[in-house]
Amino acid sequence: MSSSLQRRFFIFCVAPSLAVLAIITLLPSLYLLVTSFTPLNLTRPETAWDFSDPLISYRQLLTDDRLGNSIWVQIKLSFWTVTLQLAIGVALALLLNIKSRLLEALRTVYLIPMVLPPIVVAIIWKVIYTPDISPMHGIFRSLGWNVPALITNPHWALTSIIIADTWEWFPFTMLMVLAALQMLPQELIDAAKVDGASPWQLTRHVTLPFIQGVLLVAGLFRLIDSIKAFPLIYILTDGGPGSLTEVTNYYSFLQAFNFSYLGFSSAITVVLLAATIVLSWVIIRAVGWGLRVD
Amino acid sequence: MLTRRRDRWLIHGLAIVLAILALSPFLWLLIMSFKTNAEIFHWPPRLFFPATLDNYAALWTSEFRTSFANSLVVSVSSTVVSLVIGVPAAYALSRWTTRSGNTITLWILASRMAPPIAFTIPYFLAYRYLELLDTLTGLVLIYLTFNLSLVIWMMRPFYDQLPRSLEEAAWIDGATMWQGFYKIILPLSGPGLAATAILCFLFAWNDFFFALILTRTDAMTAPVAVVNFMNYEGWEWGRIAAGGTMIMLPVLIFSFVVRRYLVSGLTAGAIKG
Repeated sequence: MSSSLQRRFFIFCVAPSLAVLAIITLLPSLYLLVTSFTPLNLTRPETAWDFSDPLISYRQLLTDDRLGNSIWVQIKLSFWTVTLQLAIGVALALLLNIKSRLLEALRTVYLIPMVLPPIVVAIIWKVIYTPDISPMHGIFRSLGWNVPALITNPHWALTSIIIADTWEWFPFTMLMVLAALQMLPQELIDAAKVDGASPWQLTRHVTLPFIQGVLLVAGLFRLIDSIKAFPLIYILTDGGPGSLTEVTNYYSFLQAFNFSYLGFSSAITVVLLAATIVLSWVIIRAVGWGLRVD
Repeated sequence: MLTRRRDRWLIHGLAIVLAILALSPFLWLLIMSFKTNAEIFHWPPRLFFPATLDNYAALWTSEFRTSFANSLVVSVSSTVVSLVIGVPAAYALSRWTTRSGNTITLWILASRMAPPIAFTIPYFLAYRYLELLDTLTGLVLIYLTFNLSLVIWMMRPFYDQLPRSLEEAAWIDGATMWQGFYKIILPLSGPGLAATAILCFLFAWNDFFFALILTRTDAMTAPVAVVNFMNYEGWEWGRIAAGGTMIMLPVLIFSFVVRRYLVSGLTAGAIKG
């Protein structure tokens, strides 16, 4: 088979995918960028292709307090969910990393929160956070504690989102850490044991350093995903009370589809997209580093 | 490291207790879907309550049935289209070593990582002109943004594992390149195809955000329909729970089938798990 024939065949195979991807991902991204340079407001059609002041939305970004607030909420949400998911994921992975039929079966059970449709996760937690029907509030009442509805309480709203999100995604970090643990060479463990290491020392000085590459990657993946948080906030708090749980993604959604300010929302989204691309690039660098570890 | 029997028992016990604790919110919803409204508000909950299928029956006679069918049609269509376009590309990218391969990889990862709102705004605007708002076609198209990349990500490693000598032998016997791929390689990648197809289906099935914004009534999918129970029809908890259970049922079954591939699917193949 001549190599030019092969080349033609391969191009024939790849071309449709690349063409479709260009149309469905590149073109919309460009359109988003273009829209962000207009003051597009759906209720005022004349604003659609108005480029008289292309940076108007971006200037607005700098002075918008609500946007600043949303970024701060996002930082808090991302920090706590990623930290908790890593901690719980590692702890469970260490617990389950023993050769045993039962524990292997349990691993599958632990994955359930992650594979549930996000909207079902949101419904589950809506039930838990609604005092009338919540088993959690039922237990509190039986104990004689008077606990207010958490998702409408300013002190607890963000925490309740963090709890639900942590529940949804701890299996992800657990799964990745488990995969890494299974590649931990037995010689390393044996050598440490010969040197008289206690189980705690073994974990601290052998296991944790070995999995730090995977932890970094899992953390980055969760960090990027935490920027997309939507169904939980939409169903549980709707960004409230006030704007205490309004993350940037959600604020952008409100601006576009509740207030019709698509131009302004596009500008916010362009910034979000840029942040995502930077983080993706970091991931690719980190994965390169992670692969050298194993 | 923990060889003592007592420790093993302790670990098993702890793992089971934690699993029950972790799953209790999910089990609660499942049980709720079989309760009458009066039973749902009953505290303390009775272990043996008269189970009812009324909630499911009510769903089946409502518009939820149409939404459920919409979800099925959109998810299956998006899966089929992604596989038809993406699988040959995955094969070619595996066999054809060019420098642009890495750029394509990066592009695909970035499009999977992008926040959905980045696509939603331009799609929403474009669909208003193309009259694709509230259509199944419109949803299938936007689901390609994640599913096509997923197919290429998932299938490429499968083809990397198949030796080139397989199709080369077929070529010597006079097969064309297309026949070599279609008759030799494709059947051998069956398990990979099945896993990829299921993951595509799940990602499309699980979508809430795109469907929320790009559909109104005609093309509404099941996740959006369930949320509408909350907004418009009062708090019908039994029906909400039953709807949620019906949405998660196919997901749970399929996830169990492809649990081995979940890591690579969710990390867009960046980690070989």
